[in-house]
Amino acid sequence: MIQLTATPASALMDEPVHIRVTGLPPLQTVTLMASLKDEKGNLYQSKAFYKANQAGKLDLEQDPALGGDYVGVHPMGLFWAMKSERPFGRLIKHDVMNSPFWVTLELYDSVCFQDSVTIEPRARQTVQRWFSVPEVQRVQIREGRVRGALFLPPGAGPFPGIIDLFGGIGGLVEFRASLLAARGFAMLALAYFAYEDLPEQLQEVDLDYFEEAANLLLAHPKIQKPGIGVLSTSKGAEIGLAMACYLKQVVATVWINGTNAVFEFPLKYRDMVMKPIPSFLERMQMDISGAVRLRHYKGDPREKLNQQSVLPVEKARGPILFIISGDDECFNSRQYAEQALDQLRSHGRSSGRMLVYPGAGHLLETPHGPSCYASWSYSLSAPILWGGDRVAHGAAQEHSWAEIQKFFRRHLILTRGKF
Amino acid sequence: MRIRDLSFQEREGENEVLLKALLKNHPRCHTVTMIQLTATPASALVDEPVHIRATGLTPFQIVLLQASLEDEMGNMFHSQAYYRANEVGEVDLEHASSLGGDYVGVHPMGLFWSLKPEKILTRLLKRDVMNSPFRVQLKLYNSNVILINKATAAPIVSLTLERWYVAPGVTRIQVREGRLRGALFLPPGEGRFPGVIDLFGSIGGLIEFRASLLASHGFAALALAYCDYEDLPCPLEKVDLEYFEEAANFLLRHPKVFGPGIGVVSICKGAEIGLSMAIHLKQVRATVLINGPNFIFDAPQVYRGQIYQPLPHSPQLLSISALGLFEFRHIFEEARVEANQTSFLPIEKAQGHFLFIVGEEDKNINSKAHAEQATEQLRRNGKNNWTLLSYPGAGHLIYPPYSPLCCASKLSNFHFFIHWGGEVIPHAAAQEHSWKEIQKFLRKHLIPVVTSQL
Repeated sequence: MIQLTATPASALMDEPVHIRVTGLPPLQTVTLMASLKDEKGNLYQSKAFYKANQAGKLDLEQDPALGGDYVGVHPMGLFWAMKSERPFGRLIKHDVMNSPFWVTLELYDSVCFQDSVTIEPRARQTVQRWFSVPEVQRVQIREGRVRGALFLPPGAGPFPGIIDLFGGIGGLVEFRASLLAARGFAMLALAYFAYEDLPEQLQEVDLDYFEEAANLLLAHPKIQKPGIGVLSTSKGAEIGLAMACYLKQVVATVWINGTNAVFEFPLKYRDMVMKPIPSFLERMQMDISGAVRLRHYKGDPREKLNQQSVLPVEKARGPILFIISGDDECFNSRQYAEQALDQLRSHGRSSGRMLVYPGAGHLLETPHGPSCYASWSYSLSAPILWGGDRVAHGAAQEHSWAEIQKFFRRHLILTRGKF
Repeated sequence: MRIRDLSFQEREGENEVLLKALLKNHPRCHTVTMIQLTATPASALVDEPVHIRATGLTPFQIVLLQASLEDEMGNMFHSQAYYRANEVGEVDLEHASSLGGDYVGVHPMGLFWSLKPEKILTRLLKRDVMNSPFRVQLKLYNSNVILINKATAAPIVSLTLERWYVAPGVTRIQVREGRLRGALFLPPGEGRFPGVIDLFGSIGGLIEFRASLLASHGFAALALAYCDYEDLPCPLEKVDLEYFEEAANFLLRHPKVFGPGIGVVSICKGAEIGLSMAIHLKQVRATVLINGPNFIFDAPQVYRGQIYQPLPHSPQLLSISALGLFEFRHIFEEARVEANQTSFLPIEKAQGHFLFIVGEEDKNINSKAHAEQATEQLRRNGKNNWTLLSYPGAGHLIYPPYSPLCCASKLSNFHFFIHWGGEVIPHAAAQEHSWKEIQKFLRKHLIPVVTSQL
């Protein structure tokens, strides 16, 4: 009898799943398919072709995929290779507390090409992929100007506090914060535009708003003092780096595929205004898929004329971890990080460190999530090209996730408290 | 070719605004320069380059050039590029470098080969090659117009070009002789021309545009259908080489074709057939094989009572790209490794010459490996009757120049998109280079030395 097992059946999104099949005819080629429907009903799917061994068994921790969405030994390949059925979709979980993603795994005892399969699978299993645990407490934040969601780990605390910033997608993105709360960090997922009564479009970056958020977090009884961390991606990382430079509350910063200078909109803090480096519309490029490649569009922070827009990283108090995707088609991440690191070194600071992931694309997020090659941007009314090779991107998300947690544990945990 | 110089329509409103701006910037300027867009020749063969220039701009002004085309089914194709005018307010695409858009760098024909369909993955294919051209509209905009596909702002100036698949005087004859189905294209003029059979791949039907272009360059070209056309079989259950032998003899018998040999231009499945023709038919003197296999695949071949079985494929070796496109490139790997010599076509038996055209980024067929194995087989048999042109970055569908890259499409009987592969810029370069080489090759081996013109 053919059996398909996937363990654990219910787990956090960042935990691996062990997929095994038994009871197959020896050396049978099979198709394994994974599918998921997001909260709007959009379908994401992946498939890979495997060959059972002499004993009719298949173990994804050891056996290579021969073809399909990936080749080689990739135990979590069916998860990160999932593709949106609707072109340029991006998978984001909105309700992170009350429901998981249900991933259905199906086994066919032949090589199946078609997506809408008319034959029945020989075995099926569904696993639940959660973005938090019930013991994590989610608190909607509407204090002063601050808008977001605070995720508190289970227990009495105090916990290291981290502000989580996403980029140009806007709104409130919670899934990374909720997962890290399940891992013991107090996370403030902070919105800064296109959410509730915040400005609909980003017109300027008001660092006073982010300082309010930092103070709010630090004032919470369950948050460790005297400093917080910042975890930030893309445009959020430009802001995160600015926070590290100007706010004494920030003692550890993770910058993922961001910039080292002010772009697009001015940066304000108290009575200081930093002008943005101009962008060059004519340098946008169209990829053959119709998505827009933005990586060459921004001005160069190395040019003399642009120096007053470069963030003074030497003023940052704590350490900064620069995480860079080698195949970032949206930002020139590597160049920006290298300039920031040079700047730190030239001021005698050794607080910066760089992690480069060749082949990874711009949207470096949580492990085992589908890598997104390009997705719709409403501000541009065209999809934006993120880049990245799926296999390299999957590995990068897994590795960087562990590194981010190590970094914050090292630099934010002041006492020997374990969790 | 007919040449018409300036064919442009100026939008008076916009030009007035621009004139005022020019006057404002150059108060001492007494003569007003009007913005002009020229493209020559305005009407030409689709494989001929066009020289595009804009003049009368503000020095160092950034402009957007856009091209649009509507195919015979109403599908729209667009391309765009940003240029900066020089110190005298000119943009000459033969020298100017595109700053962004669909391509960067100096590419005089970039607006043509970077045309992209509005409806993703639609292939640009001309069906009626005789009676109408493709009309390409070129438009010039101020750079503050964001990349657009649909014109929401009016261009400063625009013009329309005609891109023809036949030269004046080329005639087309529908072929329905015996079993043969196809179209014969003859160059204009008296006398005889070298004969070429033109074969496409699994797309089926009758594809005429390459044959009509070959005729426009002096070849008597027979676009030959072999499946899914009129009363020909569909699907193809076997390849009967005698059908192709009939075609070769038909061509050689024609009063406007001079022998004693003919050429074959073939791609993909057509190249499997082309290679088999070269092996079995001594009339075939020059064979162009574009991204084809050196073995039989899918359907068996028959010739004079002999049946040749195809190499089996391993469906599990199919790869799916990040965009969900199907890549068949590796599906014969297992069979190729395990096969013995007799499973491959005996290319050493062919008497004519070969030109292999290989796209190294071909995702449909492992073209480079097959061509290298075939030429290795020739070498081992002491033959040097071949040339292999391998193009980095080029994909499967290497067509005549300036054809936009089609990197994937859906064939009628399948439910998925097949990834052909290729990167836009190197693919365009490969098309330009290989087309010249194909014509040189055919002339060299089909036209007797005394009267050959290269």
